[in-house]
Amino acid sequence: MADFDAQIHDSQEQVAAAQQKISELTSRIETAGSRLKAGDDIAIDIENASLDDVHAHTEAMNANIAELIMGLDDVTAGFSRDFDEMRNKTGMESFIGIFSKAKSEAMRQERMRLASVDEKLQDLIGKSDIIVQLLEGQLGVLNTHKDKVEANLTGTLDEREVTVGALETLRADILAMDPQIIELENRISVEQDAAARTVLETELAALNTRYNQMVQDEQVKLANSQTLERYIEKGKTWVDSLQNQAATQMVLINKLQTDTKQRVVLYDALTKSLKTAQQQDVAHRINEIGVETDQEAQTAMAAIGSATNARMADMMEAHEDHMVFARKVLEQKAKSDERFARRFQAIVEKHDKNLYGA
Amino acid sequence: MKEALTRDHAGLSDALVARRYFAKFERITAHLARVAALLHEERAFTKPELTVVGRYLRGISFSFQALANKYLLTGRIEGPLAGALTIDRSESGFPVHAEFLTMANDAQQAERHLRNMPGSAELKDQMVRRIVGELALPTRLQFALSQRLYYEALLKADLFWAQNDPEALWQGDAGEGRRRFLVHWAVYDSQINLPTIYLMDVEDAGRTALPKDQRRWPEAQRHLMAQSLGGLKLLTIAKGFDGDFDDLHPKRLRRIHIGPMYSSAFTRQSGPIREVLEKAQSPAGEDWALAWTVEELESARVTQEKSGWFSAVEREVFALDPFAGRGADTGATRTERAIILPQRPYQTLDDLAPPGFRQVRKFVVGPQGQVLSYR
Repeated sequence: MADFDAQIHDSQEQVAAAQQKISELTSRIETAGSRLKAGDDIAIDIENASLDDVHAHTEAMNANIAELIMGLDDVTAGFSRDFDEMRNKTGMESFIGIFSKAKSEAMRQERMRLASVDEKLQDLIGKSDIIVQLLEGQLGVLNTHKDKVEANLTGTLDEREVTVGALETLRADILAMDPQIIELENRISVEQDAAARTVLETELAALNTRYNQMVQDEQVKLANSQTLERYIEKGKTWVDSLQNQAATQMVLINKLQTDTKQRVVLYDALTKSLKTAQQQDVAHRINEIGVETDQEAQTAMAAIGSATNARMADMMEAHEDHMVFARKVLEQKAKSDERFARRFQAIVEKHDKNLYGA
Repeated sequence: MKEALTRDHAGLSDALVARRYFAKFERITAHLARVAALLHEERAFTKPELTVVGRYLRGISFSFQALANKYLLTGRIEGPLAGALTIDRSESGFPVHAEFLTMANDAQQAERHLRNMPGSAELKDQMVRRIVGELALPTRLQFALSQRLYYEALLKADLFWAQNDPEALWQGDAGEGRRRFLVHWAVYDSQINLPTIYLMDVEDAGRTALPKDQRRWPEAQRHLMAQSLGGLKLLTIAKGFDGDFDDLHPKRLRRIHIGPMYSSAFTRQSGPIREVLEKAQSPAGEDWALAWTVEELESARVTQEKSGWFSAVEREVFALDPFAGRGADTGATRTERAIILPQRPYQTLDDLAPPGFRQVRKFVVGPQGQVLSYR
């Protein structure tokens, strides 16, 4: 259990670190966005917002949590010790068994009557709750970041549209200037009058200056649009990554909740069936020694009893609905298991090797 | 194996369905108290027993109210945060045992949650702001408030938990320095997913009164809690208790199973009750039937048994159902089955008159709260 607590603590730290990294990245993207609006160069900011680091970190975190979930299996292995204890005799009981078999058996029965796994089940639910909370917290953070970046992205997309629009009008204007310039040049080449020629040349020079300016403007706009594009690309990757991470968290939560539900029921049923089976006939045997005298009356009544029973059996119906429902549940469970296995293949392999190899 | 155990469990993930389910139970638990009062009038329950049973019934009602708050916004909130109530569909109709275990876990942390939450007045204020200011449904705030009410209910009311530890009530002297106690406890049985109430009449021959005896009482409490399984027959429980405690003599042990609840909308049932509920075509809220079973085991006589070398202890011999010889082995002196249902399903039940129900007592409840009993 100490191991489990340490692992939970570990995971909590990792989740906190991952969340910090995620917010760092989001804030970088956001600052880049605001600086973009201010018109600064943001190329460096975008390069700095490296996803790899965050990815490596979240991967480690998820691996840890997946291991934690699989580790619950090992924690619950403690239950099987309880089951064995219920089946077998303790050292003291075996020792007494040398002298009196009956006394030793009676001691074991008494111990079994006291056995209860309810506290352990409560503990199991509590532990799984802690992990679920961890995961849900992470999921919440991922979703808020996703929303933030998405909102930011929509703004930037609009901006890029405007920039591209401006670029295109500029290009159209530049194209429209070409015939004007050619016409002027033609007119200059055929003009005989020096004064008129000078006027035309001045006009051409002004036109050329404007043309150059527009071309320069086009370059700036182009660069701007490219930066915006890179920014959007980065943001999109980030949103994708956040979405992917959120999906992972959901798979983990789903797996954990299904598992815990089933485990609680399973261990409970196992303990109780053990207790029931081992006690029931003993109690009857003991009581029957006392009721031997009533035996005769019983046999007389038994005939009536069995007739009633037969009728009750007739009344029971086939449970075909049951089977359909069971199949559906099985399918759902298989799906959730498969999703888990697909995402955490490596960890499952490692875990299995640890469990069965050593 | 694991899947087989949970195949009957189903989540109520739709908000309206969940609300209808809780509304149904609110009505049913209100009727239960009236049925218990009727049984008291017939001398089936003594006054203290009625008080005890009434308290457990109220507890069940409070627990359902708490759960209703917890799952109030099921299906309206996205994400795994909201969750859904899981009920056992076959032969129970009640929430699964794990819901009650989770509730106990929540209760331990209720104070911490409440400390970090805004008060209900503030939440309502925020809701109004959101409705008036942003013209939007304040679903998140509603969820926060429902959780707050849930945690408040966990702290405040006397709920029915997964385990309700034994209490002993002094009933008078039985002569020869013996005291009579009514020991009562209740569990939410995990195998059949139903609340079960235990009542035991005990004669205490010890020197210190049982509830004040710091040696025997905690041990007895633990013993009884660990033995309260639906799968154990009353005889097994009583015999084990009698054998483990030399100076406590269980004279009478009763077990009250509340449920299963049948409803054609929520549960899967087999046998005649399905036909009855389907044919009745009752309006929502009238479509249910709740079984109520009382098992009773009485001590027939007492024998002396040697214990160690010098002393002897009394052991009980319990009277068993005469039918128990070869037929259904109940391990109880008698078993009384009753079914509580509204008027309309009862009419159909009476028309169809399925053979299995002839021996079952029928309590018919009316919308105004009157209870009629038919054999």
